Amino acid sequence: MTKSAWAWTWFAFLLALDIAIPWFVLTRVERLSGAFLFWTIWAAAAIISAFIILWKWRGVER
Amino acid sequence: MSATFWVWFGIAVYIAVGLGIALMARRQLGVGVSEFFLANRRLGGFVSALSYSATTYSAFMMVGLAGLTYFTGVGALGFELTYLCGMFMMVFFLPRFWLVGKKYGYVSPMELLSDRYQNRGVGATTAILALVFLVPYGAVQLMGVGYLMSGVSGGAIPVVVGIIIAVVCAIAWSSIAGLRSVAWTDAFQALVMIVTSAAVLGVVIAALGGFGAFFSRLEAASPGLLTVPTAGGAWNINMFIGLALPWLFFLISNPQVSQRLFIPKSITAMKQMLGGFLIFGFIYTLISVLWGFGAHLLLPGLENADLATPSLLALPIIPTGLAIVVMIGITAAAISTIDSILLTLSSVWARDIHRGFINPRVSERGELRVGQWVIPIMAIIAFLFAWWVTEQPQGGLNLMIAPLSSAASAGLLMAVPAIFGAFFWKRATALGAMVSCIAGAVLVLIFQITGWKPLGWWPGTWGFIVCIILFVGVSLFTRPPRDKAEEFIGYLKEELKKGNFI
Repeated sequence: MTKSAWAWTWFAFLLALDIAIPWFVLTRVERLSGAFLFWTIWAAAAIISAFIILWKWRGVER
Repeated sequence: MSATFWVWFGIAVYIAVGLGIALMARRQLGVGVSEFFLANRRLGGFVSALSYSATTYSAFMMVGLAGLTYFTGVGALGFELTYLCGMFMMVFFLPRFWLVGKKYGYVSPMELLSDRYQNRGVGATTAILALVFLVPYGAVQLMGVGYLMSGVSGGAIPVVVGIIIAVVCAIAWSSIAGLRSVAWTDAFQALVMIVTSAAVLGVVIAALGGFGAFFSRLEAASPGLLTVPTAGGAWNINMFIGLALPWLFFLISNPQVSQRLFIPKSITAMKQMLGGFLIFGFIYTLISVLWGFGAHLLLPGLENADLATPSLLALPIIPTGLAIVVMIGITAAAISTIDSILLTLSSVWARDIHRGFINPRVSERGELRVGQWVIPIMAIIAFLFAWWVTEQPQGGLNLMIAPLSSAASAGLLMAVPAIFGAFFWKRATALGAMVSCIAGAVLVLIFQITGWKPLGWWPGTWGFIVCIILFVGVSLFTRPPRDKAEEFIGYLKEELKKGNFI
């Protein structure tokens, strides 16, 4: 797979978790350690993965 | 002195500082359409990041999202963070927009589509889509400012006066030096937004006994708010997808933000813009949601979601000075969004409608003049819409800020397949793009107006499905602009490899 395909796959995986975990795993957890914590960590993971990709962009000035 | 005096004083200081910044930006203003609408594609990373943040995050966050959290709980956090996760797609779209913008000199995203599909009708269709759906979105910002100023001043400032103040500032910021004044005032406003909201959240959490006590009280008092679906059926999967789907693609569906992908001056600036925005967005989202939870604990039993923030700011635990500063911060969030919308719509009208159809031989100076005239006209239309909504018998709040914002985004979502096709599918055609945009938008409007939700799916969800099917189906039966597609996508493939983009 190309790097681009990996990135799209990772993004799709994140979106799948976005629905699956809060609605099917944490639906009865009425605590801060439930959906609130999940979404916070999940978003942080998405942001970090975007940083990893953009870190590799070459700073060729035009 | 009365609270009303201090509210007016705060507004006066805000306007004076904003005006000063805009006038300073004017000193840097050069000539030409690209200069006025895109700051000649020479903005640095720091200003780009703050401007992108201020444009994206509007009054919706501290008013609409906080209200949504107040009533529906943690699903609001998921919904807003889903938008932020959608920004991951920037790693694909930011370099692509930026590269072709520089090569072909595009001023608006619609011009990109017209050129890529070799058909001005595609640009005009998506331009009309933007004009139709961004006006209510802009009006929502105006309403937010009006209700907030009225709430904080205890009704001394009528809602319509707040709306007028927002309109006048937005016209000024966008007219004085085009994107330069918009970006510089945005940068100032973004800092005001995040600093003031963090400060007032700190006061609320301190009043509730610190973070530990805040979360313990929340778990004890309203455990249902911490899970999905909450009691009463809010945040079932259909509602979540219906609200989140249009926002997931916000970065490319909303031209006032996708146009910003043309402006960084370098790849380094591009990285700073994206990185800075992601950090800003994450912090601001958490602040807005915690603010909504705080309102729920301190002010249980409110009847209207959009009253959560004004009511919380009116509590005695919030010092008057801080409440006024926060009001200014939220006003800044709204105005920084409206001025960007006005500037983008004016560029879209001037480039894609006027030059594209009405007068293709117009000079650059004439095109710019048209764009500058469109700014106040669009502002007045948004003002009239906002005024009309607030004058409805039961008041404008019965429309709720969050659903109205989402409805606008659902309409704009219909341009997304055409944008994906432009960058990733050589077989995509102009007719496919136009038919899918029009049919999808009409469907969204019908479902929105009638309130019809077959299978419980929201208008944006249905519209998007129909839009994708039509885009692919019609494209397969019509002839694509092969030469342009090869050149456009081929150029990107080569350049993306050079910059180590994906």
